[in-house]
Amino acid sequence: MFSTIIPMKSRKKSKVIGLNERNINLIYPNNPKKHYPLADDKVLTKEILHQYDIPCAETYAVIEYNSDIKKAWAHCKKYNTMAIKPANGCGGGGIKIIRKDLDNNWTTSGKVISEREIFQYMAATIMGFFSLGSHDRVLIEECIEPHPFFHEIYPQGVPDFRIITLDKKPLMGMLRMPTDRSDGKANLHQKGVGIGVDMEKGTLTQVYDGKNYYDHHPDSRFVVKDVPIPYWKEILEISVATAKVFPLNYLGIDIVIDKIKGPQIMEINVRPGLGIQLVNKEGLKESIQKTNK
Amino acid sequence: MHSKTNLKITLMLITVIAVTSVGFKVKPILNNYDNFNPNRVYKVNYNYFFKSANKSTTVKSFIPKSNSRQRISGEKNQSDSTLSFTKKIVENGNIRGTWDTENKNTYHTLNYEFTFEGKERRYIIPNHFNLISRKYKKYLKPSENIQSEDERIHDLAFRLAQNTLNDKEVIKNIFDYVVNIPSAPIITLTDALTTIDQNRASCNGKSRLFVALARNLGYAARVKGGIILENTNKRTSHVWAEVLINETWIPFDALNNHFAYLPANYLEIYAGDEFLITHTPGIQFDYSYQIKEVNHISFLKMNSEEIRELSSISLWKVVEGGIIPKNALNLLLLLPIGGLLVAFLRNVVGVKTFGVFLPVLIAFSLLHTGFVSGILMFVSLILLVGLISYPFDKIGLLYTPKLVISLTIMVGLMIIATMIGLEYDIAWLTTLTFFPTIILTIAAERFSRATVEDGYKMAIDKLLQTLLATTICYGVLSWSWLPSLLIIFPEFILLIIISAMLLGRYIGIRWVEFYRFKPLFS
Repeated sequence: MFSTIIPMKSRKKSKVIGLNERNINLIYPNNPKKHYPLADDKVLTKEILHQYDIPCAETYAVIEYNSDIKKAWAHCKKYNTMAIKPANGCGGGGIKIIRKDLDNNWTTSGKVISEREIFQYMAATIMGFFSLGSHDRVLIEECIEPHPFFHEIYPQGVPDFRIITLDKKPLMGMLRMPTDRSDGKANLHQKGVGIGVDMEKGTLTQVYDGKNYYDHHPDSRFVVKDVPIPYWKEILEISVATAKVFPLNYLGIDIVIDKIKGPQIMEINVRPGLGIQLVNKEGLKESIQKTNK
Repeated sequence: MHSKTNLKITLMLITVIAVTSVGFKVKPILNNYDNFNPNRVYKVNYNYFFKSANKSTTVKSFIPKSNSRQRISGEKNQSDSTLSFTKKIVENGNIRGTWDTENKNTYHTLNYEFTFEGKERRYIIPNHFNLISRKYKKYLKPSENIQSEDERIHDLAFRLAQNTLNDKEVIKNIFDYVVNIPSAPIITLTDALTTIDQNRASCNGKSRLFVALARNLGYAARVKGGIILENTNKRTSHVWAEVLINETWIPFDALNNHFAYLPANYLEIYAGDEFLITHTPGIQFDYSYQIKEVNHISFLKMNSEEIRELSSISLWKVVEGGIIPKNALNLLLLLPIGGLLVAFLRNVVGVKTFGVFLPVLIAFSLLHTGFVSGILMFVSLILLVGLISYPFDKIGLLYTPKLVISLTIMVGLMIIATMIGLEYDIAWLTTLTFFPTIILTIAAERFSRATVEDGYKMAIDKLLQTLLATTICYGVLSWSWLPSLLIIFPEFILLIIISAMLLGRYIGIRWVEFYRFKPLFS
C-alpha cells in the first residue's frame, strides 16, 4: 500500500534488503527475543559453544561479583596474555588485551598497567560501565593470535570473518580488516575495510572502504582478488555447527583464524548489519535465492 | 495465518467506519466554511447603570464595527424599554450609539451585547513612506491634548529623528522612546506635554505623546480606542496609536510594546482622541464591560450549539466542558500526529534522531518559544550540556549518576538563563523552561556519547537530522487548523493507528538507503 506513496517504484525488483525488511522478514520471525541473551551475553554464548565443542577461545574465568576478582586473578595470572571483556558490552566496547612484557609487568596497548588498575577495570565492568548501567560479568579468555595469512594483507590489529547464516545455511561472508586509520579495529564504521568473499570458491573478491571498491588493501596494496582463504571449509563447518546449536535462525557469526588452532568463533550477532551487501556487491535477497536453489 | 486475515479485516472495517463517519461531517463543514479564520472569539457586553437627571438624559458610547481583522456580529441592544436607542456614523467613521430617556430621576440599565471575532495582525513597514494626501491633513494638526507643535515636543521630536536613515527608523525611535517611559496606572487624562513632564504615563498619555511626536515630524497619526478583551469583567478600556503609512493605518501600542502589531484580543472601537462613554453631566453613573471568551473553530461559521449538533462523534463536548484547558487538549491531540510523523521520518525516510519523540516534543516547545530562537536555544543547550558532560565521560562515571549530573547541569543552565532573561529583560531567554528537560538531557547525553563513540562528525550529523525532523514536525504541528480538525474529526486518531500499523509492516527500502546502497542499484 505504501509503495504508492514511495516514488522509487522502479527499484522494487532490487535484491537489496534494507533495515525495515531485515527487521520484519529476517530478525522478527527467525530470532525470538527471549533468546537474544544467548547472543548478546558472551558468557552464555561461550557456554553453549563449549558444550558442543565448537572451537572458540578458551575461557580462563568468568567473574560475577567484585569479591571473586582476586580469586579469578590468582587463577589467570599464570597466562602470558589474555583478553578481558564485558559479557554484555556492545560494539567491541570495553575489550582489553593484556600481556606480560619481558620484565614480567602487565601491559596493555604498549603501556604498563598495575594489577590494581586491572582490578579496578574489572570492578567497573561488573558495575555496568560498558553495558549502560546494568550489572555485568567479566569474561577473561585466551587471546587469539591471528593467522599469518592476515598479516600478508595488513600486519596489525585483529581481522575477522563475518558469516551470515539463515536457517543454518551460510548466506554471505566478508573479511573485515583494520587500516591505518582504524586504530586496530576492523569495523566498517570505524574506518576498517570489508573484503568480499566468494562463498563457493572460498576466495576473496574485492575491498570496500565505505565509498570505493579496490582490488587491493588500501594501505598494504596487497591484491586480494581470487586469493584463497585458509581453512575455508572449516570456517563454513563451524558456522553451520554454531547456527545449529543456537535457537536463532538469522545470525551474524564472527570468526577469527588462530595461527595454531585454526578458525575460532569470536561472537555471534542477532542483528547483523547490512553493509555486507555493499562489500560483496550483492543484495541479500539474491544470496537467499541462490542458497535455496 | 488465520489471525492475520482477521486482523486485516478488522483494520479494514475500522478504516471504513472511520472514513464513513468523517464523510458524514464533511458536507456540513464545507457548507459552513469561514474564510475569516479568527484567532479569538469573545462575547462582549457594555453594562451601564445610571440615574437620569431632572431633565432629559443622554448616554453615548462608541460601538465597534467590522474591519479586516475583526468581525462584529450579533449586536443586541437589551436596555430597558424607557431608553430610546439610535446609532449613527460620526467623525472619523466611528459609530456612536445614543441612549435617550425623558424619564426623570429614575434608574436605568443599559446593555449592549455583541460578538467579537479577532485576528492578530502584524504589519510590515516600508523603509520610506509615501507623501500623505490632502484628505489626511487633519491628522497632522495639534489638538488640546496632543500639543504637536509645542516647542518641547518639537525639540524632542527633532532629537529623536536625528541620525536616522529612513522613515521607519524615525517611527521606531519615537516608539522606543515612548515605550521606555515608565508605565503608571494614571486614570486621569494625561496630555502629551504632561507625559514628558511626569515621565510616567498610562496608555492615554503614551498614545498622545506618540501621536504628538509623529505629527510634529509630519506623519499623520491618531489615537485609537478600544478594549483589550480578557475572560473577565473589567472597567478599563485601552487606547493606542495609529500612524498612516502608505494609506494604511498601522497600530502602535507603546504601553504594551506592540510595534506595528495588534494582538487578536484587541477590540477596536473608535478612532480619534475621544472618550468611549459620554453622558449628561451630573448624573450617577456606573459601568462595566462583561467579557466572555467563546470556544470556536476558526474555519467554521458555526456557533457552539451548531458544532455540538454536527455529530455525536466529536470532541466538542470536551472543549465546552472546559475540564481540560484548550491548549492541553490541543497538545494531547497533536501528540499522535507528531508521533506518526516521526515514525514515517525514521522508518520510511531513514532520518536518525536523538530519542524517538524528542523532535515532537521540541516542536511543541518551539510553538511557545518561536522557531528561530527556539532552534538556536535547543542546539546550544544540547551542545553545551554535551560538552560539559564530556569530562565526566572521561572520568569514567557510571551511567545513571552521570545522567543525573547532565540533568542537573541542564536544569541549572535553564534557571540561570531564565534569571539573566528576567534581569536584563530578554524575553527569549525566559522561554527556555518550555523545553522538556528530561528528554533534552537524554538527548544531550546521547550526543556526548555519540561524540565519543562515533566521532564529532557523526554526532553533529545526527544532531542535524534531529533538527530536520524537528523542523518538519514544527511545520505540521504549527498549522493552526490541525487541532480543530482533530476536535471535529476524532476518527483521525483511529486512522493514525491504522497508518502506524501499515508503517509497522513496511518493508521497503528507506530513502536514505537508496543513497547508502547506491553501488548495488547501478
